[in-house]
Amino acid sequence: MSSSPDAPRRRRRAQTPAEQTFADLMNGFSLDSSRKRTHEPESATPGQDEVPVVRQEEVPAFEPVLPEASDASIVRAYAWTGGRTRSNVSLEIETLVSANDQTRQSAGILQAEHQRVVELCHSPRSVAEVAALMRLPLGVVKVLLGDMAERGLVDVHQTASAGGDTPDLGLMERVLSGLRRL
Amino acid sequence: MDYVGSRFPEFGPPGPPGRELTSAKIVVAGGFGVGKSTFIRSIVENDLLSMSALPPERAGGVTELVRIQFGRVWLDPGLALHLFVAPQWQDPRAGWKDVVRGAVGAVVLFDVMRPADSVDAMRYFEDHNIPYVLALNNVHASVRSDVKAIIRGMGISPDVPVLNCDPRVRLSVRETLISLTEHAKLDRWRRRAGPDETTPLAPVC
Repeated sequence: MSSSPDAPRRRRRAQTPAEQTFADLMNGFSLDSSRKRTHEPESATPGQDEVPVVRQEEVPAFEPVLPEASDASIVRAYAWTGGRTRSNVSLEIETLVSANDQTRQSAGILQAEHQRVVELCHSPRSVAEVAALMRLPLGVVKVLLGDMAERGLVDVHQTASAGGDTPDLGLMERVLSGLRRL
Repeated sequence: MDYVGSRFPEFGPPGPPGRELTSAKIVVAGGFGVGKSTFIRSIVENDLLSMSALPPERAGGVTELVRIQFGRVWLDPGLALHLFVAPQWQDPRAGWKDVVRGAVGAVVLFDVMRPADSVDAMRYFEDHNIPYVLALNNVHASVRSDVKAIIRGMGISPDVPVLNCDPRVRLSVRETLISLTEHAKLDRWRRRAGPDETTPLAPVC
């Protein structure tokens, strides 16, 4: 019964001299080596020091704006747009945008967020898709795409419904025949 | 030779090579847990995406983002159909504008055991003159006449198609979307019908 609580104590006793040998004490006189040795066991045991190193490498340009964006990250996203919430180009959530060949070639010199959009819009995508894949609020994406459209970086394929509130009959006919083909 | 009066069809401006791209959208609304996401998932190729939006008119300065789920399917090489889940806001009038504006129409999924859940959506579409169909999740039988009578008793216009739909079955979803689009087309014709307009031909299936 009494032997079991003693066991850890014995182990501790066995470990402590190993940590502070006479050699360690002597090493303490040379400054650099001692500091390294004393710090090594600390950093190894919790394993926390490895995490920030990895995190720094992995963070892509858009990681700060998480899907469940807190208030702070919303503010950051709107900072890109200069606080604007509207753009001059009329974009519906289903409007398709695509990057043209010219933009793809000059993708290297664009702003980081524009570059990401160009990569996404390699194949045509809707405004809603860009918002979902970039994990940005819809309003931010509209302003971003509006700016890019004005600078000619992306092509906007206007929907037939953009003029009025209801889509035109030709489009409806096309939807109908498309659905029948599904 | 000069062909006077001959009119060749115009093929549009000589734009960049490639097809003309356009898109359309349909809104799927209904109460909680009625199968809106399932409905969309059974017709689109990929899994649903979800985007966040700030409700444009915020009550009480609440800044929480609303998540809107949607799916996309290419109907032909140049036409992308988007299906949006109408988000569940406390007051549906508050933020549906972006989602609903320019939509072909709406599908209101209707749980026959919980009819009250879908009333808000129905009323919204009635008020805004957006064509919609009622899709009952009454999967085991044909639409019973008493259910129909109850629905008509709720003040829904008799033009609105009422049909059964199992959101899990692709074919059923497709049928629902087809009947919505046909209804929307007729609705469109009726609204713009002037004295010189002709009535559309019956849909050829």
